[in-house]
Amino acid sequence: MPASQTGTFRRVGYTGWSAFRFKDPTFPVWIGAAILLVFLMLLPLGAIFRASLWDDTGLTLNRYFEVFTNEQFLKAIWNTLIISTWVGVLAVMIGALLAFLVTRTDLPWKKPIRALVMASFVTPPFLGAFAWTLLAGPNAGALNKLYRAVTGSEEALFNIFTMPGLIFVMALYSFPFVFSMIANVCELISSDLEDAAEILGANKWRTAWTVTLPLAMPALIGGFILAFLQSLSLFGAPAILGLPAGLHTITTQIWALFQYPPRLDLAAAFSVPLLLATMALIAVQKKILGRKGYSTVGGKGGQKRLIHLGLGRVPVLLFVFGILSLSVFLPYWILLKAALSKAWAMPLTWDNFTLHNFSFAFFEYGDTQRAIYNTFKLGIVTATLGTLLATLIAYVTHRNLFRGARYLTFFALAPLVIPGIVLAVGLFIVYTRPPLVLYGTIWILFVAFLTKEMPIGFSQAESTFKSIHPELEDASRIIGANRLISLKDITAPLARSGLIAAWSFIFIGVIRELSAAILLFAPSSKVVSVVIFDLKEEGQVGVIAVLGTLMLAVSFLVILGVQWFAGRDVVATRE
Amino acid sequence: MKKVGLCFVMLAGAVMLASPVTAQDAALIQAARKEGKVVWHTSLALPSSTAIAHYFQNKYKGIEVEVHRNGSQRVLQRFMQEAAAGIKNADIVHTSDAGNFELLRDKGMLLKFTPQGVAAFPDGFKDKAGFYYGMRATLSVIAYNPKVISEKDAPKTWKDLLNPRWSGKMVTAHPGYSGIIMTHVLALVNAYGWDYFRDLAKNKLHIVQSANDPAGVVASGERPVGVNGSEYFYYKTLKQGNPIKIIYPKEGVPLVVSPVAIAKDAPHPNAAKLFTEFIFSKESQQLLADKEGLYTGHPEVTYPADKPKLKELKLLTADADELEKRNAEIKKRFTELFGA
Amino acid sequence: MANVSIRGLTKKFAEVAAVDDFHLEIGDGEFVSLLGPSGCGKTTTLRLLAGFLQPDGGEIRAGGEVISSQALLVPPERRQMSMIFQSYAVWPHMTVAQNVAYGLKFKKLTKQEIEKKVTKLLGVVHLAELKDRYSAELSGGQQQRVALARALVVEPQILLMDEPLSNLDANLREEMRFEIRRLHEEFKITTVYVTHDQAEAMATSDRIAVLDGGRLVQVGRPNEIFDRPATRFVAEFVGKANILTGRFGGDGLLQLGDGVKIRVAGGSECAPSERVTVCLRPHNISLVSGDAEARRLAEQNYNLFPGVIRRSIYFGDSVDYTMQLPSSGVLRVIAPPTQRYEPGQQIIAAAHPDTCVIVRDE
Repeated sequence: MPASQTGTFRRVGYTGWSAFRFKDPTFPVWIGAAILLVFLMLLPLGAIFRASLWDDTGLTLNRYFEVFTNEQFLKAIWNTLIISTWVGVLAVMIGALLAFLVTRTDLPWKKPIRALVMASFVTPPFLGAFAWTLLAGPNAGALNKLYRAVTGSEEALFNIFTMPGLIFVMALYSFPFVFSMIANVCELISSDLEDAAEILGANKWRTAWTVTLPLAMPALIGGFILAFLQSLSLFGAPAILGLPAGLHTITTQIWALFQYPPRLDLAAAFSVPLLLATMALIAVQKKILGRKGYSTVGGKGGQKRLIHLGLGRVPVLLFVFGILSLSVFLPYWILLKAALSKAWAMPLTWDNFTLHNFSFAFFEYGDTQRAIYNTFKLGIVTATLGTLLATLIAYVTHRNLFRGARYLTFFALAPLVIPGIVLAVGLFIVYTRPPLVLYGTIWILFVAFLTKEMPIGFSQAESTFKSIHPELEDASRIIGANRLISLKDITAPLARSGLIAAWSFIFIGVIRELSAAILLFAPSSKVVSVVIFDLKEEGQVGVIAVLGTLMLAVSFLVILGVQWFAGRDVVATRE
Repeated sequence: MKKVGLCFVMLAGAVMLASPVTAQDAALIQAARKEGKVVWHTSLALPSSTAIAHYFQNKYKGIEVEVHRNGSQRVLQRFMQEAAAGIKNADIVHTSDAGNFELLRDKGMLLKFTPQGVAAFPDGFKDKAGFYYGMRATLSVIAYNPKVISEKDAPKTWKDLLNPRWSGKMVTAHPGYSGIIMTHVLALVNAYGWDYFRDLAKNKLHIVQSANDPAGVVASGERPVGVNGSEYFYYKTLKQGNPIKIIYPKEGVPLVVSPVAIAKDAPHPNAAKLFTEFIFSKESQQLLADKEGLYTGHPEVTYPADKPKLKELKLLTADADELEKRNAEIKKRFTELFGA
Repeated sequence: MANVSIRGLTKKFAEVAAVDDFHLEIGDGEFVSLLGPSGCGKTTTLRLLAGFLQPDGGEIRAGGEVISSQALLVPPERRQMSMIFQSYAVWPHMTVAQNVAYGLKFKKLTKQEIEKKVTKLLGVVHLAELKDRYSAELSGGQQQRVALARALVVEPQILLMDEPLSNLDANLREEMRFEIRRLHEEFKITTVYVTHDQAEAMATSDRIAVLDGGRLVQVGRPNEIFDRPATRFVAEFVGKANILTGRFGGDGLLQLGDGVKIRVAGGSECAPSERVTVCLRPHNISLVSGDAEARRLAEQNYNLFPGVIRRSIYFGDSVDYTMQLPSSGVLRVIAPPTQRYEPGQQIIAAAHPDTCVIVRDE
């Protein structure tokens, strides 16, 4: 086409460059986000170290001495080690077995099974523990009653108020993490490797044992460590099941140290070893699994052929649903029953049916409305600001915006290392004295939740960014949009489903958080998890059941909303 | 004209005499309404404290009662924690541990206020210095589930509970949470020494926190015997049709008077005073006795026929000062003996 | 004036210089290609030009003003440049029209003005009927044209292109080469074009800058690069080349290893006994079989290489011969298909001295 038909461009000279002799004007945003992140992480940790090591006389190891020579404290540490080890083993066994069955065999109904695993994941462990007290209290527990009725025995089948009982319940709500981890790995193992074994004569089970298992071994160890760490930091379940049996764990012991007169310094000294142990385990896990956090099993995956179960389908299905009924069906059923009963231990006859628990919980008990409001407010604010911060930080680290930007990843993921209650100890020390007294307001909870949920938000945002080609953003920048505008117009819309997922993970994490909230709440800033815990201490079974049901309902609605909105299977894509 | 005027004056006077609200009260009510709410930290059982709040709110429309219920020791902890952080949230503190109030008063954290009519209360309900008064009283008793245990077999005394036949069948609440239990433990330690509890622990008790929790545990049959617990809550549970039988041991029953006081830095002082006046009024105290199974210090309150009169029982009391001094010791030793 | 001046440009990644002391002057409205193998630093240079990277040394000027240096970096959005990417980078959540219109948002134009410009450019790249489609519905070639329209509609001073045709199949690539050249002729925007494909560079560029190891090796018009390669590398990278080595005797002739002496362009000025490398293009060699023919060419000072045909591959429009020379060297000859020689045949290759070019041995 001749030039005359298209017209010529205005030839603008390169004048006025001198006006732009400065760095990228969006820079302060990134630096600001980075500084905020570092502050969030370092302040509480610093406070804990300081509180445990310094007193009026100066640097001292007295607190550590006191902690480690106290018989009760030592017993708590010992209990915690035993419990966490067993929980790790059980969680891996259940999680790995289920993951294998779901990914490598032709088991039917995989979608419902995954959904039920998701339901176990979403259930807060303390709520599960509470439900299990109704199911397996040695005398009044529904299951034990059934057992006695059927067998005529005097004894209980299973006393949940024991260490094995505690381990059992904690494992039931830890295994979903292991499941995801191992399912991801199993999906990567190429059938070629197994075919090779079969050609050489091994049957399908032997192959699973000798080929698949060793390949998955790093993931199994990683899963064990994950479950171990998770159980180290649980507070609600040990408090509900362990304390009645006279068992303290590190977390319940730290909490007890806050009773009047409080010994923050001892709590801090107790927290430090927990912190160090967690760090060490995470380091070990990283080493075993390599940088990606899951073992890269050879190749891109290749063809997967499923093991045919044949007639074995039925017993296997029964087994799988049996396990899932332990974590989902039975607890949810008993919660609903307790919510609707006058006397929870009695059968749900028409006589026993009542809506009083609901009306009391929602209309008479002032704490409920306040707590629901606080919980939602915190959930939404934390999820929104947390996603925003995580997105900015993930952007900074992914694009390596300034020297050393990659080290921010460490800070964003650091809270994984900090058990919730330890974080709370640190935040308590920092924010109950000037200059910034956040204690007593809802904002100390906000800081705690924001810090605690940062890793999940960050890793979700990071993997989302990795899936967006950087040139899409470059194209927008060169055409006139600065970094922030590009982030808003180009990256964010493309990252939409990933960011929605991040938002929902943070939201659900917040509404069920207990171990930090239990130390930091004030009467006006109570959240639902704390209300449930308080009610448990008073023994108000009906009201707890109502609130627990509410919590579960909300979590599920959010998950379903995300799946519908963002159109993705949230179980399938885990970090 | 004069006659009408005289009648008018007499009528007005009669009305004024008949009305229980004095000019002073009216001023208080108005000031309280201006403040709009009163924040009440209490260890009174949740259904009971909520009910009281509703009574008050119905009577004095426009003043909200914000109830924060927790165990006595938790209430104290929260209060101290907030004070240490400079937060002034609470108006009224009410627990079942008199020792708490000695501590708070000595630290200057309470407001000196004497509600009307309290002079007639027994000494055990009054602080000589005038900072706190007993709103309610209850007993710590033994209870059992008659569906599981026959009357013949049931334990009757504190010492009966040491019998190994009850191993695995008993529940206790915890002095680290409950003021009632704190008093209970101190009373029994004074009577029998710590050896009593050491022997009791051999029976592998199920540990709960609140003095109100054992009622549910016993009624559900989870543990058929409660070695302690608040009598009013056991009584209420029984009245709701649950299988509970209460034992008032003849060797002595710990009496727990639950004081209430106004915080020195209360953000709503007038509402707090009004609320305090309310809970010590005959109307309110009678409600506590009728609906909540509690005893009170009010001399004109009558009690249900099926509750024992306090005069008829051998009462074990604990001195508030001693409660305060031995608070930490009791928590520590109990925890050591029972594990948590 | 949208001229670009690159002086001493250096960029290091972990101690390794991706771009090393790079100098280049690009005139206003000129189309310059950066040509080289992967890892030669051409894309890094382009990204330095765009402002996505900051130099470790040297500077870049546009219109005489410094836009990149160690101390200063004008951000990409303020450089009045546009860029085309190998991955097309068409935004998948916007329609074609929205993609093209995006850059105009920052120019403070009215909606009507934007729409007018967008329509015009879509017509220029022949995509008017696809304006409401999304990138997922477009082919690679169509996406690249969207990228072109998007880049041109903002009337940039400088256009940067990063291997825009590498992801397209061969036929489309040829067509697009011409399209790109045509658009350049029409709009006359200063263009820097990165590619590893010498045919692309030759077809589109006013000048070609050949890069290797982060350094500029040679810059010049396509025919200069092709006919007068400066180094062995350029000779072998741009087009096919026979590389001969030898020494100069005092007689201005180059003596090859096997004693054969040849005349080379500019050889008479060379000092004796220098080891020298010579480039001779296969297309510039003719094959003669008869002695008479050979003698005639020798009189015209043609260089003659006797040898034996080792291999002959017929391509339809040419035949690719490999000749074995007595010195154990080989010579590659690409000759028209009019005469066919078979392996084993004795043959003489003839090349005019002007086509025997001295190159630096780098």
